[in-house]
Amino acid sequence: MSPEAVVPEAVVHEAVVHVVCPKCGDPVGAADQFCESCGAELGAAGAADAATPSPDAELGTQLRAPPRSQVEQSAPTESMGGEGLRCTCGGVIDADGWCTTCGLRGASERDHFTEQPASHVAAVCDRGLHHPRNEDAVAVAASDDRTVLVVCDGVTSATDSDVAALAAARAACDALVAASGPATGSPSERIEHWQAELTAATLAAQTAATDAAAHVGSSENPPSCTFVAALIDGPLVAVAWVGDSRAYWFGDDGTATQLSVDDSWASGEIAHGATREVAEADPRAHAITRWLGVDSPGGDPSFTSATLSVPGWVLVCTDGLWNYCSGASDLRDLLHAQAAPVHGEPLATAAALVDWANAQGGHDNITAALARAGVASPTRSS
Amino acid sequence: MATWTAEVFENEYLAADATDVHAIVSVGCTGAGAAGQSGDAAEVIIVDTSGSMSQPHAKIAAVRKAAAEAVGDIVDGTWFAVVAGNHKAMSAFPPRGGMVRATEITRSQAEEAVRHLEPSGGTAIGSWLRAAIALFGSVEAAQSHAILLTDGRNETEAPGDLHAAVQAATGLFQCDCRGVGADWDVNELRGISSALLGSVDIIAEPEKMAEDFRQMMQASMARGVADAKLRIWAPQGAEVLFVRQVAPAIEDLTSRSTSVSALVREFPTGSWSDESRDYHVAVRVPAKPLGSEQLAARVQLIVAGEVVAQGLVRATWSDDSTLTTRINPAVAHYTGQAELADAIQEGLAAKAAGDDTTATLKLGRAAKLAAETGDEEATNKLKRVVDIADADTGTVRLKRDVSKLDEMALDTSSTKTTRVKR
Repeated sequence: MSPEAVVPEAVVHEAVVHVVCPKCGDPVGAADQFCESCGAELGAAGAADAATPSPDAELGTQLRAPPRSQVEQSAPTESMGGEGLRCTCGGVIDADGWCTTCGLRGASERDHFTEQPASHVAAVCDRGLHHPRNEDAVAVAASDDRTVLVVCDGVTSATDSDVAALAAARAACDALVAASGPATGSPSERIEHWQAELTAATLAAQTAATDAAAHVGSSENPPSCTFVAALIDGPLVAVAWVGDSRAYWFGDDGTATQLSVDDSWASGEIAHGATREVAEADPRAHAITRWLGVDSPGGDPSFTSATLSVPGWVLVCTDGLWNYCSGASDLRDLLHAQAAPVHGEPLATAAALVDWANAQGGHDNITAALARAGVASPTRSS
Repeated sequence: MATWTAEVFENEYLAADATDVHAIVSVGCTGAGAAGQSGDAAEVIIVDTSGSMSQPHAKIAAVRKAAAEAVGDIVDGTWFAVVAGNHKAMSAFPPRGGMVRATEITRSQAEEAVRHLEPSGGTAIGSWLRAAIALFGSVEAAQSHAILLTDGRNETEAPGDLHAAVQAATGLFQCDCRGVGADWDVNELRGISSALLGSVDIIAEPEKMAEDFRQMMQASMARGVADAKLRIWAPQGAEVLFVRQVAPAIEDLTSRSTSVSALVREFPTGSWSDESRDYHVAVRVPAKPLGSEQLAARVQLIVAGEVVAQGLVRATWSDDSTLTTRINPAVAHYTGQAELADAIQEGLAAKAAGDDTTATLKLGRAAKLAAETGDEEATNKLKRVVDIADADTGTVRLKRDVSKLDEMALDTSSTKTTRVKR
């Protein structure tokens, strides 16, 4: 399950999301797209009554649809723009999302997309097998002096979180690409600089997620998402996050470290002495205590940094992946196992991680963003 | 501009190997405005002036009053005419034939003219319809509507003449039909009103005719959307089993479609006012593996070539029997109401043919269905024809000395449905 937004602390038990159909009032599942009693569409505002497209539908579509065509982000590796979508049967996918010939649901460009702005960094974002939409989002970038990985996970129980998540990820990535680099300075000064920039990028993500809510016009249950950004500057990696999407460091020497600490019920329990296994098995484990969006509890992002003495991998991912392989050393072994057959090529390795998560059940959206790091200066792809 | 909504009520979950998807699509229209706003509107009032209308004299007196009141409700600018029908059709107004636009002056002239209607001659309804076709053909109207009143059967022309006239009129104008007294044939008028997208009803007491005419004319004048079509897409390999309007009245549309493309068919729905209509759409799709999801139908309302509302009918195959065995309440309700209409009509037909056994069985079934679907109007009308011993089991006894008017009232109202409780 995806994280459910909750009020922190004492009222966590109320986090179990009870949703009722706005039409008939019958209870519905948080992830349901349609009310089983009356058939009312519960999900996207734009899809509700195809009868009357909302004025925001166009913007919504725009926000939902990868890819970006910004120069510094480079072209995505899979063609996702241009001509009308085609079904596997050859038919045309209608604007309502279904094939006009065979009636199968059309795969959306949003359902699966990849980015690889440079040879050492890549990301794969996938709907998984069970969720009707891909509410995960990713944005990665590479320039001469930095590599940026941003991942957001839309909160399933909120409306149009897929829109908010993508807007937030892209806004933060753009902000970090545009940020000035520390000209010189000691490692501690550089870290201080990137902490400030990451905080600013988190704010940009928060603004984008809030704007997305305004565009989709859903006030009752506004879209929200988690946020994690990793910035690699030579031997430094700086990480900021809100929620339970994670950043890991896997050194080629066997080091395995979870850099981020979840803003979640489970990590709160672990901090209070519970074992990871017990805490993460609890139904409330995934209830997050912080998120971005209109109803964000606010505050600066959590921050950490590390100085990398050996080469290795930085992995930024959503719980669609780590839920199947939570421990850092387990995830290191998994990563190495998936990287070996493809000779450590980042895009193929990220894709293999996503495929592996789908093979475990694909119960949630899955995102894996990978970068080689810890080397003096990452080489730019041609 | 009219605002449209489409809501779909279905249980989308199908068990393994199940193929039939049933959905109620409720289409609503608001802000329709008034007739004539999207091109001219045209009205023809056709009243029976055969000799029998003077027996009793109250009938022709009622017709004069009802026609005058209906004319009074025709909005300015509407083309209109009044036809006096017996064994042939004559223009009661305007005096020289053709149609005129409604103004204060033409309306009062018409009101005066219908006061002088005199009964004589036979009944040839086909000739009345042909006259209406000619009248509507003489003007360029975006929406054409007629009211037809008779007190008798179509006796002075061959049945084929009426059938041919109805076919010729289909798609040209809509027609609400009324029968006064007990000497007309419900099936005959229902055949006309059904083909011409109108209503049928009995006017048991002549003094109620004027009010009924006013209601029909006011309803017609409120239909600001001149014409809408129901468009249904079903996937390749699927079969549309039936398309049936189920509210406000049952009307099987299945055989009335025109093909738009290999997968798309259109059904006429006529003009719309601020109202909602429910459609029962049944589609048979090839079974898919458990967990598969598919669109079984797109149901759209089309106005002036544009899609104004769309509902999606879906199918999901599941091994969860708590999902697949559920019957959607709207589908269940309207399935019962359609069966009720059939049971009433078949029961009355059997009774008329002297087959009391079948009549008792069918009307018993009707009593059971009326109780189950909470259709009090049908129950009350059934009680005038049968004694209901036990509605739960459908046990009834045919009443002796049933009034013909009561039987006809039950028959004409059989297709009217109650709305599902939501």
